[in-house]
Amino acid sequence: MPSLTIDGREVSVPKGTTVIQAAEKMGVFIPRYCYHPGLSVAGNCRICLVEVENLPKLQVACNLPVTEGMVVHTGSEQAEDGRRAVLEFLLANHPLDCPVCDQSGECDLQNFYMNFGLYDPRFREQKVKKQKAVQLGPHVMLDQERCILCSRCVRFTDEITKTGEIGIFQRGDRAKIGVYPGTELENPYSANVVDICPVGALTERAFRFKARVWYLSSAQTVCNGCSQGCNMDMHYVLDRPHLNEGARVVRVKPRYNPDVNQWWLCDEGRYGLEWIDKARLQEVRGPGDTANADTNSGKATWEQALGAISKSLAEWKAEDVGARIGVIASAKLTNEELFLIREIFRDALGAQVSAWVPEDPGTCDEFLVKADKNPNTRGATLLNLTSPDAPEAERIVDEALAGNIDLLWVFGYDLVEGFGEQKVRELGEKLKLFVYSGTNENPTQALAHWGLPSAAYVEKDGTFVNHHGRVQRIGRVFSPLGDSREDWRILLELGGLLGLQLDWRDPQEIFLGLADAETAFAGMSYGTIGDQGVEVACTKPTEGVTAPW
Amino acid sequence: MHEVTHETRNNLPPTLVAEFTELCTHYPERRAALIPALHRCQEELGGWLSPETLEAVAGFFELEPVEVFGVASFYPMFHLRPRGKHLVSVCHNISCDLRGAQDILDEACKASGCTPGGTSDDGRFTLVRVECQGACTSAPMLALDGVYHEGITPEDVHRILGGVQ
Repeated sequence: MPSLTIDGREVSVPKGTTVIQAAEKMGVFIPRYCYHPGLSVAGNCRICLVEVENLPKLQVACNLPVTEGMVVHTGSEQAEDGRRAVLEFLLANHPLDCPVCDQSGECDLQNFYMNFGLYDPRFREQKVKKQKAVQLGPHVMLDQERCILCSRCVRFTDEITKTGEIGIFQRGDRAKIGVYPGTELENPYSANVVDICPVGALTERAFRFKARVWYLSSAQTVCNGCSQGCNMDMHYVLDRPHLNEGARVVRVKPRYNPDVNQWWLCDEGRYGLEWIDKARLQEVRGPGDTANADTNSGKATWEQALGAISKSLAEWKAEDVGARIGVIASAKLTNEELFLIREIFRDALGAQVSAWVPEDPGTCDEFLVKADKNPNTRGATLLNLTSPDAPEAERIVDEALAGNIDLLWVFGYDLVEGFGEQKVRELGEKLKLFVYSGTNENPTQALAHWGLPSAAYVEKDGTFVNHHGRVQRIGRVFSPLGDSREDWRILLELGGLLGLQLDWRDPQEIFLGLADAETAFAGMSYGTIGDQGVEVACTKPTEGVTAPW
Repeated sequence: MHEVTHETRNNLPPTLVAEFTELCTHYPERRAALIPALHRCQEELGGWLSPETLEAVAGFFELEPVEVFGVASFYPMFHLRPRGKHLVSVCHNISCDLRGAQDILDEACKASGCTPGGTSDDGRFTLVRVECQGACTSAPMLALDGVYHEGITPEDVHRILGGVQ
C-alpha cells in the first residue's frame, strides 16, 4: 500500500491505483474529459494535469500510478496553467454554440472554463467546419464540431457493449467521430454514450431542444422496466408545462450503483416511461346513478367508491364467505402495498390473493435487461403471493367465471391482454363487484364496475426487491396525477373503513411492519436501505455486474 | 447506403489472404499488420480502398469495419475514393515551394487535366499536392506512380506525364 500526499494530505491506496483515483478517494476532484471510471484509460484529453514534485513536467493524473512518497499538487499555479493551455487547445475549433446546445448547463467545457478559462481568447483563425446534427442511430444525435475526441463513446461501444459501432476518422484538427458509413449506433445501451459524453457532441434525440437543463428538477428512483431495478435519477419539470408538451418526466439518467447497474441504463428502460404522463387514469369511475350497472360509466368520488366497496366487503365478511373474494395483485406494486393486500384481503378477509399473472417473457441479455418485466417479482415471492404459495391469477379468473367468486379486485394487471376480452366481459356480468385499480387506461379498466386511478410508481414511496434480492427504495419524485392515489393509501383507507387495526400512516411505517413480519426483511428500515439498497437475508451474495454478452 | 453483409466481410482474394496470413507472423499482434495489408489491398484491388475492401480486411483481421475505416482515413496515402490510373504527387513543402513548386503544380494540372486532389475526366490521372516526399535536396519534385522525378522544370512535367498511357 503506497502512501502519497495529495494537496498536503497523506493517503494510502492499493498498489496500481492512479493519482486521479487516489484523489477521488480523498474527495479531491481532478477535472477529466477522457477518463471515466467504467472505461479503460485513454489519457488523451490532458485536462487532468497535476504537478508532481521531482518530476520535470506536469503529469496526467488518470494514467499515473501512485508511488511511495509521491507528492501531488492538483491546484498549484503550474497545474492550473497547464489545464488552461489544454482547454485553449480543446476550444480552438469548438463552435461555442452553447445558446443552442442541449448540453449547456451540464457541459464540462463550460464547467472547467469557469475554473481554468483564458477569458481573453487568443484564437483568431477560422474554425474547422464539420457536420452538425448527424443522426447516429435511433436515440443519439452527433455534432462533430462540438466533439473534443475524448473517445469515451468509442471505448464504451468497444468495451461495454462490445458492438464497436463508433470510431474516429481523419486526422488532426479534421478528426471526427462517427459510425461506419451505412451503419447505425443501434445497440440496446446506445444512449449511455450521451451520458458519458462530457460535452455537447452526443445528445439525446428524445431530449433535443426540449428544455434547458437548469429548468429540470431531479429525484432519485429506480427503473421499474424489469427485475434488474437499475438505479436512476429522474429529471422532471412541473412548473413549465410549455417545455415538454405538458409531460412531467423529461428524461432519466443512470445513477451509479456498483451492485446493480454501475453507470449504465438500457435504452428500453430509459425510453419506456411515457406511460407516466400519457393516457393516465385520472378520475374515479363508478357505476354512476344507475344501480347495479355493470360498467363504470359515471364519475365518482373516492369516498363513494371506497364506501361502496368496503360496504360490500364487510357484508361478505359478515357472511364469512371470504373465499368468494379474489384479488389479482401485481409484481409492479411495492412491497408495502403487497404486504397491505396480504394483511387486508388474505389474512383479514380470507380472500384468494395472487400476484402471479401470465406474461410472456420479454427481451433479455446477460447484462442489465431481464426477461421478467416486473420490478418486484422477488418481493411478491418473498411475501408468498406467487406460486406455489398462492394460486395463479388464471385460477382466480376461472373460479370467478365458474361462479365461485363474487368480488374481484385487480391491481394494475390488464386481464383483457392475459385472458381475452370475452372472458373479462363475462366477469363484468357475473361478478357482484369488479374493481380495477391502475395507472393507465386499458380495456380491463373499461369493463370493471369501479375504475380506481392509482399513482404511478414514481408518484409514491416504497420498495422493490430486484431479481438478485436487493431491496431498493423507489423514492417519490412528484405527486400523483389528477385524482389518482397511491395504492398503499387506498388500501390503508379501505382497511380503516373495514375496521381493521392498521396503525401505519405511510410507506415507511408499513415497511417497518413488514420487516417485523417477514424474516427476509428483518431489521431493515428505509434508513438502512439508503440510496443504494440492501440485500434481503438468505440470498446468495450478489455478484457485481460483469461485462455484458 | 452500403450494407455490411457477411459476404462482403470475407471476400479477399485467396492470394492476399495467404499473404496476410504470413504477414501477421511478423508482428506480436495480428492487427499490427493492418497498415501494410491495406497498402497491398490498394495496390492489388483497383488503386483505392473501396467499402468492400475495408470490410473484407476487417473480416480478415477480426476487427470492426469502423476501426479499419478509422485507420484508412487517418493516412493520406490511402485512397477512399476511386482514383485515376496514374497518381501524380507534387511536393509543396518549403524546399520545393522556394524552388518553384507552384509552377510545377500548375503545369501538372494542365498536363493531367486535373485540379489538385481531383481526377481527370478521362480517368488517366489523379493529382495530389503533398507535403514532403523526402527529396528536398533536389527540389522541386513530383512522383508519378511512386517514381521520383527530381530537380524538374515546368517543361519537364509535360514530358513526364506525356510519357504514360
